[in-house]
Amino acid sequence: MAECIECGADVSLHDDLETGEIVDCATCGAELEVIGTDPVELDTAPELEEDWGE
Amino acid sequence: MNVGVLYSRIRKDEKLLLSELRDRGHDVTKIDVRRQQFGLSEPPAAFEGLDVVVDRCLATSRSLYTTKFAAAYGVPVVNGPGTAQVCADKVQNSLALEEAGVPTPTTKVAFTKDAALEIVEEFGYPCVLKPVIGSWGRLMAKLDSRSATEAVLEHKEVLGHYEHKVFYVQEFVEKPGRDIRVVATDGEPIAAMVRSSDHWLTNAAQGAEVSAFELDDRARELVAQASDAVGGGLLGVDLMEVGGAGADDYTVHEVNHTVEFKALNDAVDVDVPAAVVDWLESTVEERADTTAGEVQA
Repeated sequence: MAECIECGADVSLHDDLETGEIVDCATCGAELEVIGTDPVELDTAPELEEDWGE
Repeated sequence: MNVGVLYSRIRKDEKLLLSELRDRGHDVTKIDVRRQQFGLSEPPAAFEGLDVVVDRCLATSRSLYTTKFAAAYGVPVVNGPGTAQVCADKVQNSLALEEAGVPTPTTKVAFTKDAALEIVEEFGYPCVLKPVIGSWGRLMAKLDSRSATEAVLEHKEVLGHYEHKVFYVQEFVEKPGRDIRVVATDGEPIAAMVRSSDHWLTNAAQGAEVSAFELDDRARELVAQASDAVGGGLLGVDLMEVGGAGADDYTVHEVNHTVEFKALNDAVDVDVPAAVVDWLESTVEERADTTAGEVQA
């Protein structure tokens, strides 16, 4: 569990969390980037850029 | 082996890949490209001791430059910068396919909206206007009338980035409500799926339904040719059926170089990340053998 940096609600996390992964806050819908896993740190995820893709 | 994974976001695809690599006991160095600095001759410390770098950059611009840097440092990189360059740009992609004799939709490019409008009028309606850089079906326009075309072209001219003033116009292919995505390594298919939708866009990222697809010999042949045309590697080759489903005739509209495979992995019985890592292992092994041979010679 970690705290949403947007709304302060608890964000549930999987066990196999990876730095660089995106998690959603179920309360406010914010997309959060995992910037650390031990301890878990979240930051606001970057906005979609035009050259993203495959 | 020690595998560097270039990334800026860990999607499910990267998680599957990381998990497979770690399960096999490989060392994995995750390299967030946003935090790196690339000198002209001095690699970032994170590149030290790597046997191979796998480009999983989400941003095409970063993919293009980081693969170029990795190659300049002499670090083997998958996919290579040549493949990235061709696949990242739809014009280069189409030219490579055409040059290799791979059937691909009729395409013309212009640099002004007037010239682009002339192409559209020649092609007739509907036809398709695509951004030269971009993915997931974004900013694709199906042009149904002259008035809509004029509006779209005007909007593109003022979007800001110079790439939007490269007007890539393509014939509209009457596909049977689906297209085919093949993930292949050096032209050998790992698995394939169809992406079906009522919408003219059938990208998985646009919500298309996916299901396993059995490739016939002709499709396999085209996948191999398309892979060769762009320099090989781990690729997503996109085909459309022409003449209806099951007609065994295809056109290849695109090859993707940082291919997403999570949807495919869910749709087929093949373990896609395992197949990718199999290929990665053999690629690194072959390179090591080649290097050893060169040293002995």
